[in-house]
Amino acid sequence: MATTKTKFLSGLLGMSLLMAACGNESEPATTAPAENEEAQEAGEVNLYTSRHYETDDALFDQFTEETGIEVNVVKGEADELGERLSREGEATEADLYYTADAGRLHWAKEKGLLQPVENDSLNENIPENYRDVDNEWFGLTKRARVIVYAKDRVTPEDLSTYEALTEDKWNKKVLIRSSDNVYNQSLVASFISLNGADAAKEWSQGIANNLARDPEGGDRDQAKAVVAGIGDVAVMNTYYFGQLLNSEDPEEVKVAEQLGVFFPNQETNGTHVNVSGAGVTKHAKNKENAIALLEFLSSEDAQGQFSEANFEYPVNANVEPAELLASWGQFKEQDLNLSELGKYNADAVKLMNEVGWK
Amino acid sequence: MNVFRFFRLHANSWSIMSIIFMLLILSPTLSIFVQIFEKPNENWTHIQEFLLKNYIQNTITIVFFTGLFSILVGVSLAWFVTAYTFPLRRFFKWGLILPLAIPPYIGAYTYHGIVNYTGVLQSTLRNEFNITANPAYFDIMNIPGAIFIFTIFLYPYVYIITRAYLEQQSASLIENARLLGSGPLELFFHVIMPISRTAIIGGASLVILEVLNDYGVVSYFGIQVFTTAIFQAWFGMSDVASAIKLAGMLMAIVFLILFLEKVLRGRKQYSYSNAKVRPLEPISLSREKTILLFVYVLFIFTIGFLIPFVQLFQWMMLTYEKVISPDFLQLIFNSVYVSLISSFLIMIIALVIGNFTRLADSPWSKAVSRITVLGYSIPGAVIAIGVLTFFLWLDRHLNMVYTALGIDAPIILSLSLVMLIFAYVSRFLAIGFNPVDAGFDKIGRSFTEASRLLGTSLMRTFFKVDLPMIRGAVFGGFTLVFIEVMKELPLTLLLQPFNFYTLSTKAFQYANDEAVHEAALASMLIILISGLSIFVFHAVLEKEKK
Repeated sequence: MATTKTKFLSGLLGMSLLMAACGNESEPATTAPAENEEAQEAGEVNLYTSRHYETDDALFDQFTEETGIEVNVVKGEADELGERLSREGEATEADLYYTADAGRLHWAKEKGLLQPVENDSLNENIPENYRDVDNEWFGLTKRARVIVYAKDRVTPEDLSTYEALTEDKWNKKVLIRSSDNVYNQSLVASFISLNGADAAKEWSQGIANNLARDPEGGDRDQAKAVVAGIGDVAVMNTYYFGQLLNSEDPEEVKVAEQLGVFFPNQETNGTHVNVSGAGVTKHAKNKENAIALLEFLSSEDAQGQFSEANFEYPVNANVEPAELLASWGQFKEQDLNLSELGKYNADAVKLMNEVGWK
Repeated sequence: MNVFRFFRLHANSWSIMSIIFMLLILSPTLSIFVQIFEKPNENWTHIQEFLLKNYIQNTITIVFFTGLFSILVGVSLAWFVTAYTFPLRRFFKWGLILPLAIPPYIGAYTYHGIVNYTGVLQSTLRNEFNITANPAYFDIMNIPGAIFIFTIFLYPYVYIITRAYLEQQSASLIENARLLGSGPLELFFHVIMPISRTAIIGGASLVILEVLNDYGVVSYFGIQVFTTAIFQAWFGMSDVASAIKLAGMLMAIVFLILFLEKVLRGRKQYSYSNAKVRPLEPISLSREKTILLFVYVLFIFTIGFLIPFVQLFQWMMLTYEKVISPDFLQLIFNSVYVSLISSFLIMIIALVIGNFTRLADSPWSKAVSRITVLGYSIPGAVIAIGVLTFFLWLDRHLNMVYTALGIDAPIILSLSLVMLIFAYVSRFLAIGFNPVDAGFDKIGRSFTEASRLLGTSLMRTFFKVDLPMIRGAVFGGFTLVFIEVMKELPLTLLLQPFNFYTLSTKAFQYANDEAVHEAALASMLIILISGLSIFVFHAVLEKEKK
């Protein structure tokens, strides 16, 4: 008995020593930005980002290589990072808030978490409608929310607008994900802004009535459901369609190949686009570096990489979209300042709840 | 007994430490709890009108059936493994815990990946046999699907705790029942279920709490439950106040249930004044029955572990060249590091509180110990906000100290791992506390009292008498917490310091972007490390028995 107990206790002791030792070793991995002394010369920039793409990591590395500025990153979910930023207030160490939805950027601006930035090259690189009106945030990449259709059952002539999807002929044929999803919220917010709340509600009601099944899964799952014959058309982001076409899984590639991409509302008010973008935080401690990173990300080189490696449309007009994106053709976009997406987000959520869009 | 007298009677280092720990754990959750009473705003009516009714209904359905099936599966497996011999029994003893190594949301992604249109089932039917099956048959993204996922990945909680109990406690009762001619069914329902009630409830309550606070599985499946309402309010309506109000309600309900359970149970405990109980010797069944039993056990193991494991392995082979990098060593280190520290801290705190509530021995102190589960009852992201607020407050008040030390930065703690580990501790304390509590329940107080009568101090008694008797439970709790922290996602996402990633956040990085195949490598590593810790736990316990 005595020996077992001694062993047990010495085990505990050993473990605590081990942990203490590990504690010292792991310091470099978890160092708070301010303590990172090597980076002091060229400085550093601290990011809260909800984008988790390898393309982004590669671009940050390239930025560090070119400028010597260290990029420190917290990767999380947009709303939660926003909440963290808001609660940290003046004390925050984050210099940039970077997320994949214009509505969220607008929310951050409204909360007073961002600051205006006047910078010529940013203004030059990024067209006005992809920037905040007060330049508090800047769009960096674009995605279009398009209709994909089963090539064997639907022809492009059958399709016209988002509104047409609510017609009777699409009853039990439309696939779209849950109203929880921010891309759908922004889509409906854009309709509120363009057509008014009543029209947007009517549209949501029409979609809810025409759904082929209760919403489930992500954007890719909607595409698969079209090919599986559960419905005929799906609303999804171009970004995910690009990912599907380039999947490591040959079955997924086959799915994508059976689908066509249709840009709706070309004859009317344009296809819905949304941006990923970033804004300098109000209490940024490294404002200059944050702006430098924004300039870099909006430069032609970085914009090309976003498009080639991550199937996002560049915002920089001097950069051609990647071949795949170009193959879907050019399209007319909604004429909308993207701040509107944030302005009407809460209204969009409520009206989708009211019509029973799950 | 009034509170003052209570504390005068029990004022010693144990009670003081317990109270300090509980206050610390409580502080972030309390900030959430009090907001139940905030005045409702206009979003609140909307939430009530359009969301709550249906959401609560779904929640109750999922919780009820997951609880029921977990108990049936967990207890039956525990019973078979303890009472009967069958092939590979020694392996299954710990192998049946392995599903716990798979985070439910990864399990959900994996199963959906198997059964969806491009998954191995449908594509094989299509390509090899030219059969296009009705895709609706393969739909798993619904309420029954969620119950399935939760049950097969969470039943081990019931299994572990019940098995430990049956192994050590039931020999004489079961043998007597057998001698008196009880058949297997009668034995199961009239002896096994009632005597292991405490253990079953302990395990099932962990399962239920896990289901209540889950967001990963339900949001992926598009099922609307109580947590969905919390997140809709928070994200969709940018209304943190309503979100926290909902979370507070959830917490209050959970707390009430657990409180009632503990009070109602009262003294009806089956503790023995005998720590080394004779283990139950498994008996052999007829050939047919043995085969049947084996098939059942193998079936559960296959769906709970083998199938997802093999699928993830295949995906990993598909994508590892694309995702692997030396960073993975750092990820493994980070994950193991925070998991070890958190488990260690939690077990110390659990022992202190457990010992205190046992010695104080009033229904009041027992009920107070339920505070430990508060952090486990609501979605991680909400608790994270509480922790963040608490640490920012701490930083503000420690500012003078920082300045005195010559540190020129407004926030230190809230940018450090301390905050994250604190969050883990307040969230997973229940996981570590439950086994300790059950362990103390089991040994009762007679040994402690004997030791005290012989003039040994409280502290010495604890280390010489109590701790050795419940070390199995302590080790079990440690392992469970370790696995939980390995799998943890929402707290880590919200509270991570700069440039700090874990295997779990790495898996999420891909899975969140619907890149399930790319998430496989990080998921596999989580499962392997957790699986290994289960094996070590088992091996140590087995060795101790000899």
